[in-house]
Amino acid sequence: MMDAQAREGMPRRGGRTAWLLSLALLLAMAMLNASMGPVKIPLSDILGMLASRIPGLEISGEWSLQFRTILFDIRLPNMILIALAGMALGGSGAAYQGLFRNPLADPYIIGVASGAGLGAVLAMAARWPADFLGMAAVPAAAFAGGLITVGLVYAIARIGRATPVTTLILAGVAVSSFATAMTSMIMLLSTEELHRAVNWMVGGFALGGWEPVLASIPYLSISLTALAMLGRPLNVLQFGDEQARQMGLEVERAKLILIVMASMAAATAVSFTGIIAFVGLIVPHVVRLLWGPDYRRLIPLAILSGGSFLLAADVIARMALSPRELPVGVVTSAVGAPFFLWLLQRAKTRVRFW
Amino acid sequence: MDTHAFWPLGRSNQVSLWRLLSLLVPVALISTACARQPTAESQVEPAPSPTSQVVEQAPAPPEAPADESITLVDGVGRQVTLPGPAKRIVSLAPSNTEILFALGAGAQLVGRDDISDYPPEAQAVTSIGSTYGQLNSEAILALEPDLVLAADITAPEQVQTLESLGVPLFLLPNPADFEGLFDNLETVGRLTGHLDQAEALVEELRARVEAVTDKVASADPVRVFYEVDGTDPTAPWTTGAGTFQDVLMGLAGGENIAGDIQGWGQMNLETIVARDPQVIIFGAGPWVPTTAESLAARTGWDIISAVQTGRVHGIDTNWVDRPGPRLVDALEQIAVFIHPELFGEETS
Repeated sequence: MMDAQAREGMPRRGGRTAWLLSLALLLAMAMLNASMGPVKIPLSDILGMLASRIPGLEISGEWSLQFRTILFDIRLPNMILIALAGMALGGSGAAYQGLFRNPLADPYIIGVASGAGLGAVLAMAARWPADFLGMAAVPAAAFAGGLITVGLVYAIARIGRATPVTTLILAGVAVSSFATAMTSMIMLLSTEELHRAVNWMVGGFALGGWEPVLASIPYLSISLTALAMLGRPLNVLQFGDEQARQMGLEVERAKLILIVMASMAAATAVSFTGIIAFVGLIVPHVVRLLWGPDYRRLIPLAILSGGSFLLAADVIARMALSPRELPVGVVTSAVGAPFFLWLLQRAKTRVRFW
Repeated sequence: MDTHAFWPLGRSNQVSLWRLLSLLVPVALISTACARQPTAESQVEPAPSPTSQVVEQAPAPPEAPADESITLVDGVGRQVTLPGPAKRIVSLAPSNTEILFALGAGAQLVGRDDISDYPPEAQAVTSIGSTYGQLNSEAILALEPDLVLAADITAPEQVQTLESLGVPLFLLPNPADFEGLFDNLETVGRLTGHLDQAEALVEELRARVEAVTDKVASADPVRVFYEVDGTDPTAPWTTGAGTFQDVLMGLAGGENIAGDIQGWGQMNLETIVARDPQVIIFGAGPWVPTTAESLAARTGWDIISAVQTGRVHGIDTNWVDRPGPRLVDALEQIAVFIHPELFGEETS
């Protein structure tokens, strides 16, 4: 019953096509990302090297150590980490937009990025060694900073047993400003670490290798699976807290789970790739424009498309000024914004956008 | 060039930060306006004014020594005239502080920026606070300097502010090569009355540079990668054409594999692997977590020749990044890294 009501008035477009296209695009972008780089490796060699690693297939070839290192130690871990970060940002952005019923919401709205930034800059300014207590110091501090900030915002915004979304957004903005101010202050006081910090802030930060991929998979598989399954409560929440409660949704519990999962996804992405702007804001809108506003589809499709978008941006970041590399966060905004405006221009005549 | 050491992200970031900080400049003007009245008179007097000089010199020719005034054009094209060698100097950059001490003018230094920590004696000099952004104009004025020695890292707004306060300011440009450095040394020598020491120092340094270039003259060039910052080990920051690092590597018989990057930039690890440097030099300092071991342990770096042969070396970034006399120390050190066979294996 709840489902029927929630779905009311929601245009469903694309059906199975949406899934197939999104998945195909993700795979295509992954292949493109793995095959493009400053060093030209023929696609046949890439496919051959990949196939040679598949157990059971007895393919042997003569590939130089250089090619193998570039593909397996540099490009593939980077490709997978970028895809995971894009998926996390797309999914958490869609969830936050639904939770706050606000088209301007993005994964960073209640403080994940500013908190993570503060954590990262603290770790850099304190000159923690790269492997502090057996962890990668900067990502660990960023992850903790992001989650602590969100926890603080949630605690502040909680009034009795309710957590009104407006209070949550306002508390998020205030706490974020504070964290950002602290970050700026630390950066200005510790000038030598400044360029590391700036690098991190513009989303040009990757540890390299497989460790970040392996470290982020547990968090992301839990959080993204959970988000993908939270489409129905998100649909119901669109009617407002009061209505949603009358429709039988445990509103506060749903909100808490959404916040925890979306923040975990965003914090993981931010920790390993720095603050990448725009993906989490725009990808959900693009998906909504193309495939409709039903959150049961919107969330998983935003996860897939976020991955595709960031993989494409990463190719541009690495190729545009080769051999110089740009921070991917600069590319997402510089290329993503015109693309989105074009899409908006085309779409606004046909559908109600939000 | 536009690549000052302490701001490795280059001009664009600098500009945006300056823009941000420039919002604070009106505040600074207002706050220093109060301080301006009393000090203005004493500061304005020695300021360059051809007519007043004529008037001053005319009445008492017998006991006035020959015109001691010094007129030089600084790094941003300003003509600066001092009535005589500066006696109370404020340095706004660590490179300037190092040059002053190297010329024996350290005793004339009455103030320094916060980062000026070399030579150790410099730390005893009063700090005027930050090196970047909002300098404390009040603290500078309070020291009653007869010369403020600025550098390329000094914000244009700051130069303007100090100028409007009547403080004699000379901006020392970042040298593009050793001749530029030597020019700077002689300029500072003139400004401070230590020209003899400056010329002697230049002669000594030039001989040391030539000793290195003579030794490596016939050696085969060695491929070198210079890492400024490895925060992102898949795309570390390096120094390309137009940087002093590039000059140092070239003079030391190396070939910068990032020579096709202009200024500072991030280089993709793939490209580094493909260009296969024989020597890797990274900027080392207390805030740099990189070590030769940690660099060698990075994923994908193990097949690079320099890593396989153990030719990964850290160099004190302060030697390289501060355009002062220690650049020659840096050159000698880098030459040993690149051609240990020519320098009797002094490598540690």
